[in-house]
Order: sequence, then C-alpha cells, then structure tokens
Amino acid sequence: MNLQENNISANNFEQCIKCTVCTVYCPVVPVRPEYPGPKQAGPDGERLRLKRGEFFDEALKYCLNCKRCEVACPSNVRIGDIIQSARIRYSKHRPTLRDRILANTDVVGGLATIAAPVTNFALSLKPVKLMMDAVLKVDSHRSFPKYAGEKFVTWFNRNAQASQAQYPRQVSFFHGCYINYNYPQLGKDLVSVLNAFGYGVNLLEDEKCCGVALISNGLISQARKQAELNTASIRRAVTQGRKVVVASSTCTLTIREEYEHLLGVENADVRSSIDLATRFVYRLIDEGAKVVFNDDFKLRVAYHTACHMERLGWGFYSISLLRSIPGVKLTVLPSKCCGIAGTYGFKKENYATSQGIGESLFADIADASPDVVATDCETCKWQIEMSTPFKVEHPISILARALDLEKTKQLNK
Amino acid sequence: MQTERKEYDVIIIGGGATGAGTARDCSLRGLRVLLVERFDFASGATGRNHGLLHSGARYAVTDGESASECIKENMILRKIARHCVEENDGLFITLPEDDLAYQATFVEACRKAGIMAEIIDPELAKRMEPSVNPSIIGAVKVPDGSVDPFRLTLANVLDARAHGADILVYHEVKSIIKEQNKVVGVEVYSHKTKETKRYYAPLTINAGGIWGHGIAGMAGVNVGMYPAKGSLLIFGHRVNNVVLNRCRKPANADILVPGDTICLIGTTSSHVGFDEVDDMRVTADEVDLLLKEGEKLAPSLASTRILRAYAGVRPLVASDEDPTGRNISRGIVLLDHAVRDGVEGFATITGGKLMTYRLMAEWTTDLACSKLGLDRKCVTADEPLPGSRMEDSPKGRSFLFDKGGQSAKHRHGELSKKIASDNPFDRSLVCECEDVSVGEVNYALNELHVNNLVDLRRRTRVGMGTCQGELCACRAAGLLGEANNCAAKAKSDLASFLNERWKGVYPVAWGEALRENEFTQWLYGGVCDMNNVNNWRK
Amino acid sequence: MRFSTIIIGGGLAGLCCGIRLQKAGVQCAIVSAGQSALHFFSGSFELLNVDAEGKSVDNPVVTIEGLPEGHPYKKINDFSRYAEEVKSLLTDCGVDVNGDAKANHFHFTPMGTLKRSWLSLGDFNRFDSMDCFCGKKVVVVNIAGFLDFNMKFVCDAFARMGAKVEQRKISLEATDKLRTSPTEMRASNIARVLDVKENQNQLLTILKDYSNGVDVVALPAVFGLDSTDFVKTLKREVPQVVLIPSMPPSVPGIRVQQRLRREFERTGGVFMLGDSVVKADFEGNRVVRLFSRNHEDMPLTADNVVLATGSFFSSGLVARSSEVIEPVMHLDVDFDSNRSTWYDAQFFNPQGYMKFGVATNNRFQVKRQGETIENVYAIGSVLSGFNALAEGCGAGVSMLTALAVADEIIKQ
Repeated sequence: MNLQENNISANNFEQCIKCTVCTVYCPVVPVRPEYPGPKQAGPDGERLRLKRGEFFDEALKYCLNCKRCEVACPSNVRIGDIIQSARIRYSKHRPTLRDRILANTDVVGGLATIAAPVTNFALSLKPVKLMMDAVLKVDSHRSFPKYAGEKFVTWFNRNAQASQAQYPRQVSFFHGCYINYNYPQLGKDLVSVLNAFGYGVNLLEDEKCCGVALISNGLISQARKQAELNTASIRRAVTQGRKVVVASSTCTLTIREEYEHLLGVENADVRSSIDLATRFVYRLIDEGAKVVFNDDFKLRVAYHTACHMERLGWGFYSISLLRSIPGVKLTVLPSKCCGIAGTYGFKKENYATSQGIGESLFADIADASPDVVATDCETCKWQIEMSTPFKVEHPISILARALDLEKTKQLNK
Repeated sequence: MQTERKEYDVIIIGGGATGAGTARDCSLRGLRVLLVERFDFASGATGRNHGLLHSGARYAVTDGESASECIKENMILRKIARHCVEENDGLFITLPEDDLAYQATFVEACRKAGIMAEIIDPELAKRMEPSVNPSIIGAVKVPDGSVDPFRLTLANVLDARAHGADILVYHEVKSIIKEQNKVVGVEVYSHKTKETKRYYAPLTINAGGIWGHGIAGMAGVNVGMYPAKGSLLIFGHRVNNVVLNRCRKPANADILVPGDTICLIGTTSSHVGFDEVDDMRVTADEVDLLLKEGEKLAPSLASTRILRAYAGVRPLVASDEDPTGRNISRGIVLLDHAVRDGVEGFATITGGKLMTYRLMAEWTTDLACSKLGLDRKCVTADEPLPGSRMEDSPKGRSFLFDKGGQSAKHRHGELSKKIASDNPFDRSLVCECEDVSVGEVNYALNELHVNNLVDLRRRTRVGMGTCQGELCACRAAGLLGEANNCAAKAKSDLASFLNERWKGVYPVAWGEALRENEFTQWLYGGVCDMNNVNNWRK
Repeated sequence: MRFSTIIIGGGLAGLCCGIRLQKAGVQCAIVSAGQSALHFFSGSFELLNVDAEGKSVDNPVVTIEGLPEGHPYKKINDFSRYAEEVKSLLTDCGVDVNGDAKANHFHFTPMGTLKRSWLSLGDFNRFDSMDCFCGKKVVVVNIAGFLDFNMKFVCDAFARMGAKVEQRKISLEATDKLRTSPTEMRASNIARVLDVKENQNQLLTILKDYSNGVDVVALPAVFGLDSTDFVKTLKREVPQVVLIPSMPPSVPGIRVQQRLRREFERTGGVFMLGDSVVKADFEGNRVVRLFSRNHEDMPLTADNVVLATGSFFSSGLVARSSEVIEPVMHLDVDFDSNRSTWYDAQFFNPQGYMKFGVATNNRFQVKRQGETIENVYAIGSVLSGFNALAEGCGAGVSMLTALAVADEIIKQ
C-alpha cells in the first residue's frame, strides 16, 4: 500500500520548509518594515488565514509582486501568488479613484492619446502634478510616461497591415498598453525585426490590457473579464496556427502565469504558444535563421533583468541576443528590483519605498555608465529613466537598429 | 526531609483534565487542595486525543448514558470555556460502502440522548464542508466542535490556583502514606529539586489516568485498567472546518477534527501493556490505516502534508474480555475505596473522557465533600473559566491585525491582557508558524508553570506548526535560559524538545517531512553542533 | 540552447565545479532550483571531523585512508592536492578562508560550542585550542531585538571556558526601525541596514566604547552581504572583535554564494536561477537533452551533465514511503527499502537516511537501471556512501568531488 506515497502536499504553501531564504531577497522589507515579509505574508500567514480569515493583514499591499521570493525559494513555493491570492480573497480595501485611474491603463491611455500633446503638457506641469499629488495621491515626483500622438494600432493599420500577408510565416502580436499608447516605436521595431525573419505580424482580433495593474490594485473582476477576453483572442490566433508574441516581460508573465494562478482563467491549451519577443527571436536564430548586422553599429549596453523576467527565467534569451550583436559591448547588471513594480511606485504612499528599493540598481547603472540600458520591462524603463540620466531601450529596439533589416530579410525569405 | 507537616483537605494526584477539574471544583468549594502531577499538565491521555468537543452523537447508539452526559457537558463547555472551544459543528456522513439504514437508528438514538441531530441533504453537507468526500449518500448535522485540551486543563489549574490550591508539577508520587487501613498522605519526589517530600490530607484522590492503576496499587487496592492505545495523525493545516465523522458503529480512524491551525484524524485502537504506556510510538501500519480511512472522510487528505503522528492511552476500566477495547463503556468510574476495598481516605476517578472531565470532577468533589462532612454546591457548570470571562467572545469579533496579539487572544482569552506587547521586543515572534510572540512566551514562563520547552509548547503552541520547532526552538530556549538564568538547562531542554518533536515526525518522515527534518538536523546538528553540546569541552 | 556542460544545482558543489570548468574554457550553464544551502552556512567548511570509528579527527588527510569503500573521498585520487586547490579556488573568488587540511581547527557555533573545521571564513577567528578564553574579559554584544543570536548560550560558553563575561545590547535607530515587523529582524535584513556608512559609524563608536579594557568583543556575524569591507574595518578599528555565526539566514554564507556565482558568471558561465530540470532524454548510455520548467520546449543540450542537486533538503533526493528516488533523471539510488532503518528514534543520533544517495562508479559517473551513464556525473550531497552531518564532511565532499569531476570533464 502506498498511501500518500510522496507526502508532498498539493497545497503549494505546505511545501515551505521555513528556511527563510525568501526573506533575504525581498526588496521591500528593508525599506518598509511595516511589511511582514514574504515568509510571514505568504506560507506562514496562509495557515493562519485558513484558520480564520481575520488573520489577513492589509500590510500585504506593500508586496510589489516582484516574485523574487519565488525565484529564490528552494522549495518551489509560489510565495508571490499566495500573497496576491490572499489580497484578492481577504482584502477589505476598496480601490480608490486613483487606483482605478492607474489600473485602467488602456482606457486612460486611449483618452490621453487622443489629446496627447495636451496630456503630456498637462502631466508635466507642476500645478497639475501637485493637484494629482494632493487629490489623487499620485506622487508629484513622478514623471508620467509620455503619451504618443498616434497609437501603435493606428499606425499598424495604416502602414503595416497590408504588407504582412506576403511573409511565408505568420505570428500574432500582443502589443499591450505601453506600446500602443506610450511607445509605438517598440511595436514598429518588433514588426520590422519579425518581418526581417520572414514573419508577417497580425494583431489579435481583440486585445485589452493584460490586467497586471488591475490585479495589483484589487480590481479583480475587471481583470478576470479582460483575461478571459485576451485568452479567447489568443486561442483564436493559436487555433489558426500562430504563436503569440509579447514584447513586455510583465505582460508575458501575467498572461502565461497569473491568469491561471490568480484569476482562475484556464489557459493551459495556449500557454506554451505565448512567447516573449526576445525568446521567439532567439529560437529563430537558434533554429537557423540568418542575421546580417550593420557594420557601423556600436553601442555600450547595460542589461537590466526585470523582476518578472527573472521569474520567467528568460533573461538568458535577451542577454544572448544582445551578446550576439557584434557592435554591442554588454554589461549584465546584477539582477535587482528597480522599485517601480508597475503602478506601485506611482502611489504617493509608496514613492519613498520605491526609490529606496531602486537605489542600489541605480548605483550599478551609474557604475556601468552605458550608452543605453536595455530591459524587457516598460515600467522599469520609466523608473530608470526618471531616476537616472540614462536612456532605456528594449532589446528588440536595439536589435532593430543593429540588424541590416533588408539584407536579413533577403536571407530569410 | 521537611520537618513541618503540610496538611491539606484533599490531595489530587494527576494533572490531566480530570485532576485539574477536580482541583478547581474542590478549591471553589473551599477545600484546601494540593494537586500533584508527575510531569506536566495534560501530558497523558488528556493531551493525546482528538480535541473533539463531542456532541455525544458518536456514542448515541452504543452508549446512551455517555451520549447524554456528553451533550450536557458540551453545552456547558461552550459557556464556561469559550476560549478553549471552537463551535464548528459536525457531520456524520454515510458513504456508499456504509449502510444508510443506520442513519435512522443513529438519529433516533441522538434524539433520545438529547442531541440535536438533523438529517441534511448531502449537497448541503458539501456546501457546509467542501472538503467532505463528494460521494456521500447521507449526512447528519450535530453540534460537535473542537476543544483545546491544553488550554482547558490550564484554565482549570489557574482557577484552582486562584482559589488557593497548591500546584506541584514535576512531582511524582512515590508512595501512598497509610496509617493502618487509612490513606493519610503521599510521598512525592521532585524531578526539579530531586527532593522527596510528604504531604498529608484526610482524602487522597487518584486521578492518574492510566497511571492510576499503579497509584491504586501503591495504596494496596486493585483497579483493573485496560490500556487501549489510540494513534492519531496531525495534518499541516485545516482541511476541514466542520468535524467529520462516519455514520456507522464507531470504528478506526473515523473522525477528522479541525483544531486551531491544523486538523487531525484518529484513532486506532489496540491493547498495550502497562510497560509501554510511558513511551507510546505510532507504527507504520497505524499510519497507513489512518491515512486510508482518513481519505474516505476527506479525499484531499491524500495530498495534504502530514506533520506528525502521536498516540495516547485511554484509561478504560476493564470490565470484560473484549480484545478491541471498543465495547467497554466510556462511562465515569468513581471508586470510593473505603466502600469498595475497606481503604479509608482514598478514592479513584477514572473512565470517562475529556468531554466529561467537569462532571467527573463534580462527582468526585461531591464525594470529597460528603467524606469531609461539608455541604457545598458545585458551581463549575456556571462559572466561566479564566480566559473565558471577557464580555464578548473572541469569535465573530473582527480584529485588526495588531502584530501578533491576535493569536494570543484566541489562546488566552481575556488573560491575554497580561501579555506584554508595548515594545517591539515583546511583539516580535518566537514561533512564526503559530504566531507566538516574545511577550506570550514570557507570560507563559512567568505565570503558567512552565519548566521546559515541551511545557511551553502546551501553553502557547510554540513548535506546533509546520516546522516543528526548526526556527522557534532555539529562540524559545534563549528566552527560557534568560528566565531561569541557566543556559545549560535551556540547552538540554532544547535537545529534549527536538527529540520529542522528532518522535512524532519520524513515523511519517518521508516527502516534505523528511526534507524539513534534514534541514532541522543540519541546523541543530551541523551549524549549532548540538550533538556535541554535552561533551563540548572534550 | 547548447552548452558544453550543464550543471544541475547551483550550490557549493555546482558552483565550484562550474568555476573550475569555465576557467578551463568549458562553456557551462548551471540550472539552480532556488537558492542553496549556503544560506545556512556555519561560516566554516568541514573536511572530516569524525572517523569511521566515531572518533574526532585532527588530521583529515591521514584519516581518509581508514574510511570505508564507497565513501566519495575514497574515489578521489590525490586528496590533499584537491584540498589545497579548493582553498585557492575560494580565494580566487574573493572568499577569504583560513585553515589546513592536515590540522583541523576550532570555530565557534551559534550555540557557543567550539566545533572542528577545516576552512573558516576570514570573518571568523579560528582557535587552535579550547582554552584560549581562559581568564579573558569578554563582552558579548547583540543588536537589540535580534532573536537569532542566542546571547545566553554564547555568554555561558565563554564563562565555561573560564572567561569573565558581560552582556550588552546595541540599539541603533536604523536597526530599531526593522523591529516594526515582528518577524523581519533577521540577520540578512540587519546586514542590509548595516551596509549604510552612517549606521556603520554609529555602531563603531559604540563598540569602541564597549571594547575599553576588555579582551574580546563578541558579536553576531551580521555584516556584509556583498562586501567584507565593513568586517575588515570592524576588526581594524576594534581588534578585540570576535564574530559568532547567527541562526539562518547566514550573512557570510549568502556572501559566499554571491561571490561564487559572480565568479562563475564573470568567467562566462550562465547561471539560471529559479529553474529546475524536469526531464532528460537518453540515447544509449548518454543524456542528449534536458528540459527545464522555465524553458519548456527549448531543450538544453550539452556534452556532459553534472548532477549537483543536493540531498533531500534541496530535492536532489526524494523520499517516498518505501523508496528513495532521484527525481530529475531517475538514476539508481543506494538506499535501504526497509523504512525502519532510515531513522534513529534519537534526533541527535546519526540518521540512516543521510547515507542514501545516487550510486556512482569510481569516476563519479552515475547509473540508470544498472547501466553506467557515460556523460552524467554526480557530485556533492546527492552522492551516496557518507553521512555528511555525522562525519562532518559535507562541504569537503561537495567541493572535492566538484573539482575531481571537473577534471574528468576537462581531460576529455
């Protein structure tokens, strides 16, 4: 008889053997001691919460959901998920107007894009910032990401869509809010890189914000709706034989992992078809795609592994791609949290924490003193650009500049 | 040897629930009481059972008398021991392999015993307790609950002490002092001071549980006891919030009880010899049996972490030759040895169960009063125990998280006010799994008769969580060392504590439990060099 | 993804092996499921503390001879050369160690005992005898509120060794702030706070004051997660300082882990943290492909694979109710199928299960269904044939087998 043969619990929190390793890597605790730390907030707290829900501690809101605890855990405990699930289940905190505004990146983004010059101007004005600080509790030190005048989707439909069918292979692209509203250039770069490798790019039939900000701001039912919509769109693309490429590491993690773990949206059938842009490109090259680089391309790059990238474990792909560019001199920065964690750092109450966490990374960047910092995460880009004098780019954008796109395209026909 | 002759009205031997309850009742009725306990409170059968607040339903069919005693005491404990009780309710479920016809017999028997037993739709039962086996074909709801035996015993001790009783733990009765055919006192050996002392009283009460057999022997009387071992398994967290029972004749491993942060399944039943009762160990077969049956109650137990296994010995009074021990009445046995054996000044209280400890104490105290010629009424059914005297019960109240204070409130009721929490040190956690603060540990060390870390565990739950002492044991040992100003004893206590935890872990030590143990071994054996503590100057 | 060698497990064994290989120009990737047991490091590496008869060992090098066949040390040729090379490997990584394979010394444990060891980190004092504190004036200092440093035990230990002991607690504003949380006053968090210059200066001022007229100032080792600078400053400014390891997490251990990892990456190694190998494809007697949880369908390929997954704690071995398995490649494991032999009822006695591990030949090649797998080697605590805890040889086995296997691979 082999009852309980493994004595390994199906309850993930019970796999914790209390070794305290997670507490070493939590970036929040040293700057925000009100936070109970990942061990107490996660597996330890979970047992108490199962005893009685009132053991829930609102201080769990200080968790950045950076998931560095999960990466460090030798027992495979999904500490970050446990904490976020507890917030979803027990928190009595109601999202404020500020939380709703920050969380609804696509609605707000949509409105802001229409009036981009005005919005950007207004968001940069001191009185506006102070008003936002006082009324909305959005920290006045924050500079908002600029809104582009033309959405990525608009550009794509006008300029790129028609030519995509000519490519022998097809892929779908989940662009996310950031590319659509704030940084269409990255979307354009990805389209040209993928085209160069012989892939036509398709937008999903329908796409909403991946929902990471909704989750962290406690707007769960809305997040679930968007997750369902996105998953359905992705499923349609996958059914048509297309992989779905995502540029942002955070969107990738959210869609692949959090949909199921936190929102209960089933995605096992399509999960492996959702790929990070740099991983997708790495695989193409690994499987024999040809590349031609511009001879004159020279760049000193410092790569920052974003938290969610670390959790995906896919930093290797971006780093390898950058390393494969002959003109790039690459420094890989020690993997640390920049402190922004999406909308977290925008909140007035978190500003000091956020900057405190990032301090050590900013110092590392200053030491490396690169031409450009590369990272796969858009919110890290905001934080680093705001907190250091360095410009930040996505590895795909660097690749787009480094490649001789035309020659590459010829070779990959 | 002391010179002064210490006199009491009554000496009670045994610090289980019955002894503690009797000490309380006697002292509330104005008697001068001495309670002697060989080791620590609740270290025998009292602390080694399900912690089930029986509704009595389990006995309704086979033993109506016990059943009706249970339900009455159940209702009393809900009033007087709120901080020890969780009002969870219970379900008696019928599985496809069981005879559904038994349900009617069962409900009828419950009705006769005065137990509210309500047949409910299996679907409703599944909603009430989502972990229940989904294939149930019948369910009866009864007023079961959970009771923390350590807290309950301690509350009785504290009240006895408040009413003048003297409490001696780690004092073992070595002999019963007799003058002619009359018991006049006891000679006790202190495990702490290694001294022997004599105490005198016109009445000595033997509430020694299974060890009462030997104590009676010292007084020259024979109480035929039947040591029946029962093994249980503790799981890492609460799988169920409602007590689950099988609706059939009582059998092995058919009760799953949620208690505090864990849940436990039991029991097995087997006869053991008196030579084994001091060191009960759970066998591999028992573990397998408990798991096999447990999964039938709640299938998710199959994938829940097992924390430890333990066994207790039921102090049943042998009445027939039934080898299983199940058909012996769990009724209360109060023996006045003057009447039974012609030995004056000596009585034995045994049989019964945790649930009826108060009633047993009442009967015993009635006997004591009548022997001492007093006429005083028992008030223990109405007087709340210390810890349960706050105006509003801890349940249903919404606590804001106040950094560690919350678990202490559940554990100590209104006495948690005595726990220091005004500075960060007092608030910091010793035991992270069970949320035990420095303040709580120090309160226990100073006021709750704690002599070592195992006692501390019974008072506070230190080391009862998932890690079984891996992080907290060393911290608690430090506080114990400070409190007693003796590092050497604290170190050897730490070693004994880890040994005691291991005893319960190794019967289930595979999978995660073995991982956890290897880590603990590395910490204490490797990093701390504890296997070398005693010969470190070599 | 192609590498020359893939090492599964990023602890002491895996990293030492990886560093040695990288330095020899062998391109390696380490796949590490979370952080390693170095986070619970005592501060001293042990080579061999107890011999086959259970006697304490003073000279590990000569004692090796008497070990039973099957012990990993018996498979290493030129034991003392490897012991020396481990020392220089650590030094090259910036891990400053003292000690001698021919003469064990003593180091302090958190319980206040003196334990035999081979190499102690530069943070710690090494003691050659147990009488070194006799008649000394010792002040034991703790950071106020830090529960994982057992003042009472440490004071008692000094007193027993004949010292005159006083105890003090230091409250700094910055460390006090940590105490807001009832759980997070941990060694690593204190270390992070004490990385700040201003806090270091405050601490130094107080310690200088306490050190007046005393011979020893004993402190918990909670300094320097990244750098040893402050430890050095501390010892220079207050020469009486003796650091004593705390309960986990171990600050010096974390630093060792980081330095080894950094050296591995500096020499071109790829370190994949938070990932685990879930499947291996075999062709004949060789592993040809590995699949990991994070990389999913992207296979990892290599000429050689080194299994450095550790024992039960790090899931290199998994115990079921009736067997012990190696979960990654289902290799042959030496264990006793009778579970009752796995344990001793006494916690502090040697536990039978600790000797279980992956079966290997004399070159540390593993077996699967009785067949030797040519390109898979096992190193460190996943190996069978020794009880690291009872023999006091865990670190030694990890590092020496790591180098021996690295050399096997380099030879090819």
